[in-house]
Amino acid sequence: MISLLASRKTAMAVAAFVLLVGIYPLIFSNSYEVGIGITAGALAAGAVGFVLLLGYAHQLAVGQAGFCMVGGYSSAILCVHYGWDPFLALLFGVALSMIIAYPIAAPILRLRGFVLVMGSLAFQLILVVVAFEMEFTGGALGTYGVPRFAIFGWTLPSDQIYYYFVWACVLLTIAIGLNIDRSRIGRALKAIAISETTAGSVGIDTIKYKVQMFVISAGMASLSGSLFVHFLRAMDPTVFGFAFSLNLVIAVIIGGLMSIWGGAVGATIVTGLREGLRGLSLPLWEAVIMGGLTVFVLIAFQRGVAGNLSVWFDRFTGRRSNEVPTVVEPAGTAIPGVETEPGKAVIEVSNVTKLFGNLRAVDDVSFTVESGSITALIGPNGAGKTTLFNLIGGYQPLNEGTITYNGEPIHELIPNQIADLGIGRTFQNLQLFDNMTVLENVMCGRHRIHTAGITQISASTPQARREEEASLEAARRCLEFVGLRGAENLSAAELAFGHMRLVEIARALALEPAVLLMDEPASGLNDTETEQLAELILEISALGITILLVEHDMRLVMGLADQVVVMHHGKKIADGPPDQVRETDEVIAAYLGTEKHEAIA
Amino acid sequence: MDEFHVLAQLVLPGLTTGCVYALIALGFVLCFNVSGVVNMAQGEYVMLGGVLGAWMAIAGVPLFLVLLAVAAIGAVLGIAQERLSLAPVRRSPAFIQITVTLGVAVIMRGFALIWFGKDPLAMPGFTGDGVVTILSALVPVQTLWVWGTTAAMLLGIFWFLQFTDAGRAVRACSINVIAARLMGVNAERMTLLIFALAGGTGALAGAVITPIVLASWDAGFVYSLKGFVGAILGGLRSPTIAVAGGLGVGVAEALAAGYLSSGWKDAIVYALLLAFLLIRGGVFLSGRIGLVAGTQDR
Repeated sequence: MISLLASRKTAMAVAAFVLLVGIYPLIFSNSYEVGIGITAGALAAGAVGFVLLLGYAHQLAVGQAGFCMVGGYSSAILCVHYGWDPFLALLFGVALSMIIAYPIAAPILRLRGFVLVMGSLAFQLILVVVAFEMEFTGGALGTYGVPRFAIFGWTLPSDQIYYYFVWACVLLTIAIGLNIDRSRIGRALKAIAISETTAGSVGIDTIKYKVQMFVISAGMASLSGSLFVHFLRAMDPTVFGFAFSLNLVIAVIIGGLMSIWGGAVGATIVTGLREGLRGLSLPLWEAVIMGGLTVFVLIAFQRGVAGNLSVWFDRFTGRRSNEVPTVVEPAGTAIPGVETEPGKAVIEVSNVTKLFGNLRAVDDVSFTVESGSITALIGPNGAGKTTLFNLIGGYQPLNEGTITYNGEPIHELIPNQIADLGIGRTFQNLQLFDNMTVLENVMCGRHRIHTAGITQISASTPQARREEEASLEAARRCLEFVGLRGAENLSAAELAFGHMRLVEIARALALEPAVLLMDEPASGLNDTETEQLAELILEISALGITILLVEHDMRLVMGLADQVVVMHHGKKIADGPPDQVRETDEVIAAYLGTEKHEAIA
Repeated sequence: MDEFHVLAQLVLPGLTTGCVYALIALGFVLCFNVSGVVNMAQGEYVMLGGVLGAWMAIAGVPLFLVLLAVAAIGAVLGIAQERLSLAPVRRSPAFIQITVTLGVAVIMRGFALIWFGKDPLAMPGFTGDGVVTILSALVPVQTLWVWGTTAAMLLGIFWFLQFTDAGRAVRACSINVIAARLMGVNAERMTLLIFALAGGTGALAGAVITPIVLASWDAGFVYSLKGFVGAILGGLRSPTIAVAGGLGVGVAEALAAGYLSSGWKDAIVYALLLAFLLIRGGVFLSGRIGLVAGTQDR
């Protein structure tokens, strides 16, 4: 619950929430009105979970009411036929939903093309058929006589009290959501949303967290189902039909899919709107108006109501950093280094071949990168440098040969697994997460270092909080190390190009890498910036970090590299110390050209 | 012979509903490949064609006018959907675009409910409500209309894709939109064309099947889902497999209804879909995903 007071903005949101929820039944106190409040709260619990799925994991599932059915039937059947305590039945439903959700989501989320939409719809429709056809559910008649809600034998005496219990549950889901939002997992999800490629480069598993969000949202949907059923006091196959799934989607879109609060706000609006239409005797218009609002919000203001409230709050309170980013001298070894073992091969590329159709983009290339060295991969355009680089980073599979890291083969691993081993990388065309601040970008690099899992993060355990502190501290030191000042709280998209480059390097350093892969770090930099970069690379090397870079800037390469590997037409034509390589005939031919089509790099 | 008779009596009606699923599946594949969006409203065009067709037929509009109007309305709505709801979010992430199509589906359902009411609408067969015997099975005469219209539409679409300049442009867009643009293909127009095509053929299929299955405002999502099952068999890529898949879904559900139980028939089709997705996700695609370094994912 710590996260509820984590910032002034959140604390104010919580205060507003408690105030509004608290006074509603005092003003609208007849049983019909309290019932509406309970309905809104039950929907809100599910909607908060749906924000995590849609707004954070970017997965649309239109069969989420299937999990409401799991919860609803668990509560109804266990309480009516087996005399369970309603609270325990509710917990059972949540656990069961999460257990069912995992094996469904894990394989489906590997598929591209938004297959989860249909998979989850199929799941829900199967459950509807099961509910109709099976005996234990009570068939089409359903299960009746569900008792009032009770917690370990204490029966909630009135609907008012139940109303408060329901909204307390909503607050709990919000707290869990906020805990996730401000954690390494929240950042990982934001990173994946911008670019799976880049997320992989800092060691983020691109499927795991989506699956976790699906499982959590299933649990919250189940909670929503149980809360509903104890209000309706009955459960049948039509309660959580397709329309209920749609309500969840629509509530989240209108409320704001990028904000945890959006679920609660949206559920309230959707419920209020429906009651309003009933009051106006226009119940048939519900679908048209809800659908229309959904489309309108997505086109006109995607942040939804809660998201826009948050933006207005920021504008109103002027929560902006006044700092101006500046670059200072690299601050020395403020970050952890690596022990080097001179002479030991860290990365060994052996007989690697990559084919694109009939083109041998990389043709039987072998070389080794020594521990602690700076190795440069050079060659004219189209020589296959970047392809080889991507093979090492795990972005493409190779056709022949092996690549090892400290003797272990890595050529079958995918990018996040390679990053996880301590191999960081930067990209030629900058890849920052521009939906996050500079500091958060660098904190993403800490992903592999920390171990707090989804359970600890949801509950905000002391370990999770300690790690978050440590991550923040380390990210600050990395920014200091690259010499970027005063940019922490700026959005990554607001920086100048040279500064972005530094943020990217800081993010890669945050991995505490043993090896750093840099793809044309000097491209797009002016002379001064290139000189600063060269200094920085030497500083990084001084930490003991092995560096492999692809570069066009020959001055940079010749000044820095201990070893140069020259490629031409996919083949390695030379390797060795820069001075020696420079004298090789093939290299001169490749660069200065003996044939017309071989241009200078 | 008796066995065969039962089988034919199940398979032939299955093929008939399968025709509708096949057209929807084809619509999914075409729209997905050209615009990158799984159009959740695909089945709503079929629903709308059904209720509109029935409503006009009951009002006494001549048959050919009904069919013409239904197809035209479907096509225009397809264009409207693309222009009004998808074009404005073209630059948003794919999940937003899909959610928009879901919103559009809800709007279409909503209007159908308001205008045509909750009760399913019936429509007389185009050439009477008699039956014919095919391969020892008794089927409504309307079946022939469904088969004929579907075959004509499928042939038309495949001919269009294969042998016309616009069709080649559509295929170019679905392989690589950027390259197609560079070659001077107007990708926007091709997207519109495909949405019109999917909307029009969907609506027409809806009108033609209605004498057999009734038309109801809430049928669209189930059509979408079953069509999608067909489309996903070919990985949302292959139009031919999508059509075969759609027909297969129709036959599978008819067999499930006949040999197992009609209550469970939908569950069986959906369970097959889930099983397929789970196995496909688990086995075929669990390895390396073909990421290209340095490109922004959508």
